[in-house]
Formats: sequence, C-alpha cells, structure tokens
Amino acid sequence: MIEIKNAVMRFEDKNVLDGVSIAIPEGCAYGLLGSNGAGKSTLLRMLSGIYRPYSGEVLIDGMPVYNNVPIKERVFFINDETIQFNDMTLFEMRDYYRRFYTSFDDALFEKLHAAVELPMKKRLSTFSKGMKRQAAVICGIACKTPYLFLDEAFDGLDPTMRIIVKQMLIDAMLDNSLTVIFSSHNLGEIDEFCDRVGLLHAGKVVFDRELDNVKGSVVKIQTAFDRSVTKDDFSGFEVLHIESTGSVTHLIAKGDREAIRNGVNALSPKIYDEVPLSLEEIFVYEMEVLGYDSSKLDR
Amino acid sequence: MLDIRLEGKAPIYEQVYGGIAQLISSGRLKPEERLPAVREVAKHLGINPNTVQKAYAQLEQAGLIYSIPAKGSYVAAEDNAAAALREESLKRLHTEMVSAHKIGVIYDDVIGLVNEIWSDDGKGGNL
Repeated sequence: MIEIKNAVMRFEDKNVLDGVSIAIPEGCAYGLLGSNGAGKSTLLRMLSGIYRPYSGEVLIDGMPVYNNVPIKERVFFINDETIQFNDMTLFEMRDYYRRFYTSFDDALFEKLHAAVELPMKKRLSTFSKGMKRQAAVICGIACKTPYLFLDEAFDGLDPTMRIIVKQMLIDAMLDNSLTVIFSSHNLGEIDEFCDRVGLLHAGKVVFDRELDNVKGSVVKIQTAFDRSVTKDDFSGFEVLHIESTGSVTHLIAKGDREAIRNGVNALSPKIYDEVPLSLEEIFVYEMEVLGYDSSKLDR
Repeated sequence: MLDIRLEGKAPIYEQVYGGIAQLISSGRLKPEERLPAVREVAKHLGINPNTVQKAYAQLEQAGLIYSIPAKGSYVAAEDNAAAALREESLKRLHTEMVSAHKIGVIYDDVIGLVNEIWSDDGKGGNL
C-alpha cells in the first residue's frame, strides 16, 4: 500500500509538488498522467526514496521511504534515464542489482533475458535507447520487488517489446501481487492497462480515481434544442465543453450519469445521445478547463 | 483463443464482459465449456488481469458463468445461461426504453413495435 499524504517537494523557492495526496492499494496498476513539468517524475523519485519530502508524508507499507533501506528494497524504480549504467555490461548491471535486492530471481532473469535477446557482455553505452530500457525493465522485474515504478519506460519500447513487457508485468501482478506505477504520455496504453489513474497539474492532483470511474464520469452528449443554449442553461452537472453546429449541440459533461441525463432532459431536447470518451479525450478536456490547451498556439 | 476485440471507448471490463456474453449467446462458447484463464486473457489482450477478473466476477454474478476455486471458470449449464442471457437482454431493453421515454417516444409506438416483432415470431419485423 502506498500512501502519499499532503506531500510537498520544493526546489529552490518553487513547490514542484504542492500538497499531493494519493493512496494506491496493493496489486494496483496505477497510471500517472500529467502535462510536461506537472511533477510526475518528482513524485516517482520521492516514492523511490531519492528525494526527501519537504513536508507531508510518503509511506510504503506504512513506513516512510526516505533513508529506509528495508523499504527501498521493496521498490524498483526504472528511471527515464539509464546513464549511470553506461560503463557497465548487462552482466555487471545484473550483478549490481543482485547485490542490493535479496529477492533477485536468477531463473526469472534468465527467462526474461531469453525473451529480449540483449548482449550480456557489451557496454550499455553501445545499446540503443530502447535496448537500455529493456535492460532496465528485465532487471527490475527480476528483482521481484512488490513495487515497480516506470517513468515513461514504456515510451521508448517498440510495439513488440511493449507486448512482451506487458506480459511480464501481468505475470508479476498475478504471481507476486505487484503494484506498478507508470507515468506515460501514451494514454491508450494507460487506458488498457491501469486500474487507477491520477492526473497531476502544476504539482497538484486534479483527480485520483478508478479508471472505470473516470471514464464513466465524463461523457459526450449529442443533443439538439429548439433554441440556442449556453453553458449556463444546464444545472446538476459540470459542462467542460460546449459546441454547437447548426441545431446540434455537443456537450462534454462531467458528473453523475443520471444527473447529466436529467439536466439535459430538463431542457426538452429533440435528440439525446450519449457517447463515452477515451481517456485521451478526457485528459484534453480536463486540461482545457485548467487553462492548458492547444489553442494557446493560435493566440 | 477468445475472439474479443478491444476497440470501443467503453470501460475495458465492459468490453470483455460483452465479448464473452456474445460468444456464449452465439454458441461459440458451449455450456460447461472451460473459459480461458484470467492470465491467458490478460496476456492475449494486453490488459490488466484485475480487469479480466472484474469481468469474470460480473459474468458470474449475472449467472452466465460459474467458477470452481483453483480450477477455473466455466460457461453455465444450458438452461442457466439461456435464462441469464434473457435477463441481460431485458435489462438492456429497460435502459433503452427509459431513454426513449425521456425524449418523448410515445407509448402507442412502442406497443406497436412490440406487436409487430412478436407477431412476426421474432424475425425482426420490417422496421
């Protein structure tokens, strides 16, 4: 169980994380979303015990992570940078991790290594970016920690390798009730793989919920009225976005489904059609409400 | 292996649920047939095993499948599966009728439709 309670991370005078509270249950696959600079990597580094929170608490299995070796042994962090291993071979990298993680599983490493076919005796500096990621991922899974954090680690892998890595993670989730956190810009992947998602913006949590819940809470409504309507005509739910073409109005509505239905029906629409949204669309509309949108380019 | 495609925007567990219900109603999965393990389905579709478990749990709750601990999940016996499918279908009709009612579809038109389909002995009417 991961508990982040009102965590603040300050660099110089800026709060990069500004009162973040998130709880992640055991065995969960958690998707961490956010714009560039939202604080995702900082949060993962804090969870891995690399940064000490300026204030608030960061607990894993009830214990603070920072400076806590037994807890850090339960965590593996795959950074988006693997530069520190450039002078090592994969062979040496494996031994490095094997020394620190007592749970390291040699047989599992062999099995994973056979699936990716990376050279064991060449320096990592000769590896491509994707190969370095693969090296880090197989080491991380072979460490068999109950917690695995991947900072954009998926984004550097080719489609076949993504499938292989997902299958490795599925085994780890079923066999060791692995809790995994991904930060990624690939929302489709998060959509398919995660139970819960958290959206960070400017160091704050916009939402932290079950994925099915997030997807159920925002819908696109296609409707038509006899007169023109604006955002303010609706009540009982939040209108994230409204757009009319001719007599047809498209609404992006957030709230309880029933409340949305009643709110729209109160205006006697001529048609009413609900369409679920993809996670990517939800992300874009939520960010738009926060003033982070692509239309800035036009201004 | 299960022929389920993930393509809609609906929650994944609903798509897995719908996919399996469809395979059962079309007879591609036979009564008492063993369903693939959660691990297999998760790996095949590249999705979270918890999601597959959730879909299986709901299929079980609906009476479409049953599970034997440590052995796996099986399609319900013929009568049970058929009854569960009918109930499913009624639920969908209910939801659909509620929204039809809300946007002002009139009673007589609905009844007309029902009569048409049932007198045609389930062949679908000529709507």
